[in-house]
Amino acid sequence: MELQSQHFREKAADALADSAAVAQRDKIAQFTPIIRDAAMQEFGSFEALRKHIKRIRQHSLDNLDYYLARFELEATNNGNQVHYADTPDEMNSIVLDICQQHGAHRVAKGKSMVTEETALNDYLQRGGLEVVETDLGEYIIQQAGETPSHIVAPALHKSKQEIRELFLEKHALGERALETTEDLVDEARSVLRETFLKADVGIIGSNALIAENGYSMLVTNEGNGDLCANLPSVLIICTTLDRILPRGEDATAMQRLLARSTTGQAQTSYTSFYSGPRREGELDGPLETHIVLLDNQRTDILASDYKEMLQCIRCGTCLNHCPVFAATGGHSYGWVYSGPMGSILTPLLTSLETSEALPNACTSCGRCGEVCPADIPLPDLLRDLRHEQYQQKMTAPRWRVGLKLHAWLAVRPSLYQFLTAMLTTVLHRLGRKKGSFSQLPFAAGWTSVRDFPAPQSGTFMQQYKARTKADE
Amino acid sequence: MSSESRSRIMAKVRGASRGQGAAAIESELAGMGVAPTAPLPHEDTCIAFMANVLRNHGTLDIAGNRSEAVKLIGQYIYQHFRSHRLVAGNDPHLAAMPWRDGGVLPRFGEVEPGEPVALSYAQWGVAETGATVFLTGKSNPSRNNLLPERHLVLLDVNNLLPDLESLWRQIEPTIEAGSRPRGIQCIAGPSSTADIEAQLVHGAHGPRGWHIILTGGATHEQLQTARAIVACDDTLGGS
Repeated sequence: MELQSQHFREKAADALADSAAVAQRDKIAQFTPIIRDAAMQEFGSFEALRKHIKRIRQHSLDNLDYYLARFELEATNNGNQVHYADTPDEMNSIVLDICQQHGAHRVAKGKSMVTEETALNDYLQRGGLEVVETDLGEYIIQQAGETPSHIVAPALHKSKQEIRELFLEKHALGERALETTEDLVDEARSVLRETFLKADVGIIGSNALIAENGYSMLVTNEGNGDLCANLPSVLIICTTLDRILPRGEDATAMQRLLARSTTGQAQTSYTSFYSGPRREGELDGPLETHIVLLDNQRTDILASDYKEMLQCIRCGTCLNHCPVFAATGGHSYGWVYSGPMGSILTPLLTSLETSEALPNACTSCGRCGEVCPADIPLPDLLRDLRHEQYQQKMTAPRWRVGLKLHAWLAVRPSLYQFLTAMLTTVLHRLGRKKGSFSQLPFAAGWTSVRDFPAPQSGTFMQQYKARTKADE
Repeated sequence: MSSESRSRIMAKVRGASRGQGAAAIESELAGMGVAPTAPLPHEDTCIAFMANVLRNHGTLDIAGNRSEAVKLIGQYIYQHFRSHRLVAGNDPHLAAMPWRDGGVLPRFGEVEPGEPVALSYAQWGVAETGATVFLTGKSNPSRNNLLPERHLVLLDVNNLLPDLESLWRQIEPTIEAGSRPRGIQCIAGPSSTADIEAQLVHGAHGPRGWHIILTGGATHEQLQTARAIVACDDTLGGS
């Protein structure tokens, strides 16, 4: 997928101007935390589960050499061919080679953010293959020529009416109403059923790779990933090194966390573990299975201060709780990953320079860190990226001057208190009548979209001192 | 190309890892204990399982014996498809059913496109999540669980497990003995999607209906209790 993160500000401004889309995002931002909170409360010891998974993930990453070698051995013994890809291009090339070796024409794909990262569909299509996304959301955006707006629900930005028009335009199935959501799902079902049955190759991702037995875990509600994994004669699992977990029970424990965080379910409709190709005498299943492990900077992240980001389980919880994501939508982020996790991953997987706006697309509210089921300190990592930008002189000169001035003042508390008290008093007096300012020097970014409230009285420190004195 | 990449990637991974020996790593992992499991909605594992199946939008029947199970299967198929035909995997538990008792005409093998209903034998059920578990392979073609309009599942209540950890304890001896099942499928509901305006719709790609026939001693009273638990959830605005 082509990187557009350098245009975050323009895309965010466009997104904010679309009032219907803003209303739709507001609705989603309200209900997704509710279902997650209900599932968390019903579970009871959610925090203990979160800490347990964090310890297991950290242990896996600390000993990834051991677990990766173990997984490779077990997966190979299970009959898989394991491939390694340093770069997105290398992964694409490996997948295309496999398809060509089998004379494949049609590919059925399950949802995979890794293959969005490598732009696999475009690559395979250029190689002459017909590639069909089979997750309903992914199918919708593929038909519309768009990119995912959310890692879990890629087409939530589209209304029912838009999808109806899209299907009527793209599917030559004659006259039909497609009035209800059920009609639309049925329409996609009937079209995609043919895809599953005719596909030569199935491509899926993986939620976890289990080192002790070489199995790959796939979690879905639609069952499309399982159809891709079982019907075509060749299966290719495109995934990354950081998905490795030591044991089967670690994968199901993580699933406990993932399903509740994403959809509020105890378990999704389908949680499958695949070991390898069809055995002698079996009636179905792929004849050949490949696992392609992509690095794409992840080993650099593993050796860096951002290592904790590799604990991410791709649940979308941080997106669902982020006020910036809710306001601007996933497309503004300009790449595969959006929201807080995207604002960290995109610079790490591409470059901090081209995605410079993303670590700054943050109100520092800290909600993402509070809700992350993998307990990743997302606000800290975002701040570290901003700090790196400052150190590398990527931050605009006026901001650098402002930050320097603030840092100088912050370590001089008396002067700081004096100046803020003075400023508060002046603003309080000037804004007393109206209660707010529609224009303020040095604050045009704020006042261009909303009024700045006039301070009610003195600063916190002034009030604190006054009350302490009164108590004495 | 891939082998060079493998060497490069492995070298970088080794450089970033702690370099501990296998014994130390396994000992550290063992010391991390086990993950907390979800509380069951009832202390009776069977009731808890049934309640979770209902929460997962599944349906249930209780059969006192194999003959009754076949009759219930026959009624279900006739009610939905005005037919007596179904496809069943080659599992010996299914082959041994008294099919004539229910007037059911089974075909053993894998589901073909257009065949609307399949019956699978679930190896286990998991009370914690209301999932049925299938070891796919010779006896259980995976497409039988995925392609039909309606998926029927035969499950013995004596094979109910409390949680997902217990499931791995059941499967691990098979894996360690070298006969790894090709696939382990945990199915906890009909195929579903909420990709269009977050509205839940069943039958996205796979079965629209997921119906479990419990054998081995489950009672209608237990099912009533499970239904009451779910009704209480609905009243309280829960799941």
